[in-house]
Amino acid sequence: MTDLELTEKLKAVLGEKLVEISNPARRRVFMTVEAKNLAAVFEVLRKDLGYTYLATVSGVDKGEVYEIVYHLGDAHGNLNVRTQIPKADPHLPSICAVIPGAILYERELQDMFGIVVDRIPDPRPLVMPDDWPAGNFPLRKDWKFDRPREIIPGGKK
Amino acid sequence: MKFNIPIGPQHPALKEPISLRMTVEGEVIRDVDIRLGYNHRGLEKLAEERSWIQNIYLTERICGICSHSHATCYVQGVEKLMEIEPPKRGAYIRYLVAELERIHSHLLWLGVAGHEAGFDSFFMYTWRDREVVMDLLEMISGNRVHYAMNTIGGVRRDLDEALVKKILDGIQILRTRSEFYFKIGANEPTFVGRLAGVGYLSKQQAIDLCAVGPTARASGITADVRKDDPHAVYDEVPFDVCTADSCDVLGRTVVRIKELMESYKICEFLLKNLPAGEIAVKAPKRAKPNEVVSRYEAPRGENIHYIKSNGTEKPERLKVRAPTLANYPATIQMLKNGFIADIPLIFAAIDPCICCAERTVELVNARTGEDRVLRFSQLRALAAERYKNLPMQRNAVWPF
Repeated sequence: MTDLELTEKLKAVLGEKLVEISNPARRRVFMTVEAKNLAAVFEVLRKDLGYTYLATVSGVDKGEVYEIVYHLGDAHGNLNVRTQIPKADPHLPSICAVIPGAILYERELQDMFGIVVDRIPDPRPLVMPDDWPAGNFPLRKDWKFDRPREIIPGGKK
Repeated sequence: MKFNIPIGPQHPALKEPISLRMTVEGEVIRDVDIRLGYNHRGLEKLAEERSWIQNIYLTERICGICSHSHATCYVQGVEKLMEIEPPKRGAYIRYLVAELERIHSHLLWLGVAGHEAGFDSFFMYTWRDREVVMDLLEMISGNRVHYAMNTIGGVRRDLDEALVKKILDGIQILRTRSEFYFKIGANEPTFVGRLAGVGYLSKQQAIDLCAVGPTARASGITADVRKDDPHAVYDEVPFDVCTADSCDVLGRTVVRIKELMESYKICEFLLKNLPAGEIAVKAPKRAKPNEVVSRYEAPRGENIHYIKSNGTEKPERLKVRAPTLANYPATIQMLKNGFIADIPLIFAAIDPCICCAERTVELVNARTGEDRVLRFSQLRALAAERYKNLPMQRNAVWPF
């Protein structure tokens, strides 16, 4: 299947759920969908187009919104599903019901951006330590790390 | 009655910090929980504050075993963002080092598998022969671990005639040795019997849990980024994707030995067809606002970097997904309903690289825990005990 055929097929299958689609390079297709349609879109991608392999989920802080990119792969190349959620109310539906392997990436998103993934099977922190202060999400652009001043016991004042 | 057995985070055999929490009933594992993040480096945040060229240094240090994989994956993405292409000779040398790295990584894994299965002479053989490829890598790059070969727009060191001949000779030695391992594996019934049927992961489970690399290929999935999405030179190089259908640790061993053979073939092709010319082009300092998905088949599976540029000297976002992270959900499945004695073997079979998965630094040394905490050496002793009196799986055969 060429990129053009894939683009046409995606347009036909997804209909109005598809907001935008582009093909910037060979074997790379980017498409945008609305966050509320995510689960339905992945259902279609899995059943009708055979996309079962989710490589990873990337989050990008774009100021007012978070952009979430799901990278899918198959024998023809790479399909990227993009969606945006407002920073003020960062809720994202879980796709673990369709692709069970997505669990670690969704947990990572929760840790790093403070995005709330709804109906996630396992909401525990993944990479952050247990004593990590609440409300600190490192990959947000406005988050800065201040290393606490090291105090040597018995050292000079 | 159920017990919880924690393994890690600091553990003599694991070398890197990860915590596996097993819920066992008698000797059977009923549930597994993996906890990560014991030494998270925050590398993705750090990358946003470094320039494009400084980030090569950073990505190379994501992992020690597959250092070239991450650097190459990053560099080939940045080259697309900057709209430059490395000269052909540069690309050939870059992927020659990549294949040599795969050879050293797979030989390392074979040794570990032999060790965990209680076949220590196999471990010593493979690790001795691994020195051949390590020496070759040192001759090419000057370094044994972090080769520092990549730069944006090509590679940093050239090969000369004498070195090409040395590499070809080294590969010939390695090929003879690997054929010997293949023979040993096939003719040693205790080894085959120990590996067969352990850590079962069906094809459907591997698909659902998004397994990658040799773990997925041993469950019959023909996924290999070098074939599916041929980056750089891989559409010119003849090679086959190696798979196995046995879905167990034996299959994962067979896949890796076969991949060694394919890697020798690729190295020889690249060396014999090495084009003349420059090895690098000059790269601009800035990249236009754009985004790119860079995929690379690392020794452990697909490595994916998502890079976003914003027109400055620094990336807007660098997302790294290392293959080991993708294999964790599958590992949980493999461990379930297995025996405690099989934990070391199954966990080693995904070739875990925790520093990749977490972008953490390696933590050396460890301490022993309380009474309930089992050491890996004790586990291994348990395994030996269990299999000593067990009738061997005589029907298990090496799949040719």
